[in-house]
Amino acid sequence: MFDTLVGIAFSLAWLWLVCGIAYRVSVWLGARSRFLIPLAPAPRSRVGVLGRLFLEVFTFRSLARANRTTWLASLAFHYGLLWTLVMHLRFAYEVLPIFIVPFIRFGIWATLALVTGLVILLLRRLLIDRMRYISSPSDYLHLVLLLCIALSGVLIKRVWPTNLFEVGEFFRGTFVLNWMPLPDHAGLIIHLSLVLILLFVFPISKLVHGVGVVFSPTFNQRDRS
Amino acid sequence: MNADKHTPDPVVGRYRVIPILHEGAMAQTHTANATPAIQEASGLPGKLVADWHDRAIARLGELLKERRGLQVFMDTCTKCGACTDKCHYFLGTADPKNMPVARQDLIRSVYRRHFTLAGKLFPKLVGARDLDKPMLEDWYRYFHQCSECRRCTVFCPKGIDTSEVTMAGREILAAIGLGQQYSQEIIGKVNSVGNNLGMKKPALANVLESLEEDILDETGLAIRLPLDDATADMLVVTPSADFFAEPHVDGLIGMAKVLHAAGIHWTLSSEASEAANFALFTGQHDQMQAIALRISTAAQSLGVSRIVMGECGHAWRVAYSFMDTLVGGFDYLDPEHPRPEHICELSHELLQSGLITLDPSRNADKVVTFHDSCNVARGAGMGNIKGGQFTIPRALLRASVPQLVEMSSDTTHQKTFCCGGGGGLLTDDLMEVRVKGALPRAQALQAVVSSDKVTHLVAICAICKTQLSQVLPQHDLADVQVTSLHHLVGDALVL
Ligand code: SF4
Ligand code: SF4
Repeated sequence: MFDTLVGIAFSLAWLWLVCGIAYRVSVWLGARSRFLIPLAPAPRSRVGVLGRLFLEVFTFRSLARANRTTWLASLAFHYGLLWTLVMHLRFAYEVLPIFIVPFIRFGIWATLALVTGLVILLLRRLLIDRMRYISSPSDYLHLVLLLCIALSGVLIKRVWPTNLFEVGEFFRGTFVLNWMPLPDHAGLIIHLSLVLILLFVFPISKLVHGVGVVFSPTFNQRDRS
Repeated sequence: MNADKHTPDPVVGRYRVIPILHEGAMAQTHTANATPAIQEASGLPGKLVADWHDRAIARLGELLKERRGLQVFMDTCTKCGACTDKCHYFLGTADPKNMPVARQDLIRSVYRRHFTLAGKLFPKLVGARDLDKPMLEDWYRYFHQCSECRRCTVFCPKGIDTSEVTMAGREILAAIGLGQQYSQEIIGKVNSVGNNLGMKKPALANVLESLEEDILDETGLAIRLPLDDATADMLVVTPSADFFAEPHVDGLIGMAKVLHAAGIHWTLSSEASEAANFALFTGQHDQMQAIALRISTAAQSLGVSRIVMGECGHAWRVAYSFMDTLVGGFDYLDPEHPRPEHICELSHELLQSGLITLDPSRNADKVVTFHDSCNVARGAGMGNIKGGQFTIPRALLRASVPQLVEMSSDTTHQKTFCCGGGGGLLTDDLMEVRVKGALPRAQALQAVVSSDKVTHLVAICAICKTQLSQVLPQHDLADVQVTSLHHLVGDALVL
């Protein structure tokens, strides 16, 4: 019964995530964009704009200009997260695909990067007066939530293992509304509950910046003179 | 102006890195509100309307739909803090509300309260706030401590442009009856008379005539400053400060010499005797359009085939980036010069094609450095090449003076620091903000004065020139001459 509720919650979370992001994007695209406000010097060609967006999205170029520590911590966190997400794709397959194997093999390094990055970002927010001034409770909680997810994940993986095959069955079920039982494992329940919170928060919070960057007119417009 | 009473003598420390927060440091600053007469002349309410709260929220809702940037910027800030130490007003005043993200948050917190699910349900948790009287006062104060220079944008990983937020804030304020006297009065004068000074045609004609006499005395040549010459091929639109203020006027004379030497048949216009467009600063797009239209109307009625803009930073941004949108194209211009050009583009082109000759030895007594103006650096371009706004003025300078020294690269090119007086802040009742905001530029300048004995600071913006000549003495830099680029070009010109 409880497992079914968690299953339903995940099915709803996927729907919420997709619809939430789609709605946010529709709000952005629904707003008029009349004036050309690219940050100069701006690329003069469309390819140039793609290059600019690529550098911003994948190397956080502007952040590198601003502050090396934050830049490195953000890179560690975001790439650690990306790596971890790829690892989690294993649950989408009944048979472990080859391409995921190396990700799992070196997963510990990704986890380390992710956690270290998060800790630095959190310390920064706590210790620097300017950061404290601009932070709301939610800004700390986002970081704490991500940290707790990471740590509970490490726990399940390394310290207190669970039945990964059953977890896979459960997840594949949430996409086709076939809600399966979960392994009986308190650590897993904690991990999954926190992930649920993250999925619900994502489209209605600043976390949506990952999608938003490419809609920023200062980045995505070109110099059309 | 009650602000004057509160304005203490500016005290500015030297070579501070990042200041420790000093909350409320600039909370006393208040630039005068536009008078009822000025407000009403622009069709705005004369004083704060009774239902200001609802009207402000409604206007914010409209702006979110009209300006995509604003909407995206409201949603994507992660409070990463990358911008917090990048604003010259924060560096100079230590007031936390002058950190770019904190400035945006003045609107973002209200946006979250009224336009987001999380802010409606859990305001405390997500930093959502109501628009109450103290918040409204903060809007007025701190949106008038931003020069809309976009330096913070250079460092923001989400590309958030605080100037768009400031413009939206000022637009809302004006719409509920709280315009700023300085900017709104200027917009009124431009609309009624044709320039920011309210200088009428006969007065302008007199000024130009006496300048022609000065040039004749100096050079022995009859170099003209034509006004409303319907036979001209080129309309030159320059900031009205060029007609009377120092050091601007020498720049205008330099431009006249260049145009004369190249044999160009040009004219100024009494209808469009002003390049500036202060409606950019106040975020009022309808006014910005009206002011921009004057230029294209004047160009069409004079029948010119080229438009050239003088040394004015934000006018160049409007001409380069917004003119097309505002006035709908330039089919009447020469297809080889299909958009307004910058005087630096023109002079550079003349220099390259050998139509003018510059002799740097005529400026042998000067060691110059170049101040990139924010609107040119981050809001426009030049010469149809990426970064032309940096290379073209420097190429002209190198041809005109023997020694060009660069200030720290953290303070030039795209990362240039605002002079401290841009964006509609060039008024006496904001003098404390202006002096403190000039600190980073003054520090960078001080460094090259010490190391290379720089004597002249060159700028291509009327606001930069006025601001820097007024505030540099307060930073112990009274000996540095603030100079128009075309003053030096004119002096180096072989006539
Ligand atoms: S740099 Fe951009 S995202 Fe970061 S706090 Fe400043 S405005 Fe927000
Ligand atoms: S636009 Fe310029 S003045 Fe305004 S907050 Fe950003 S850096 Fe400061």
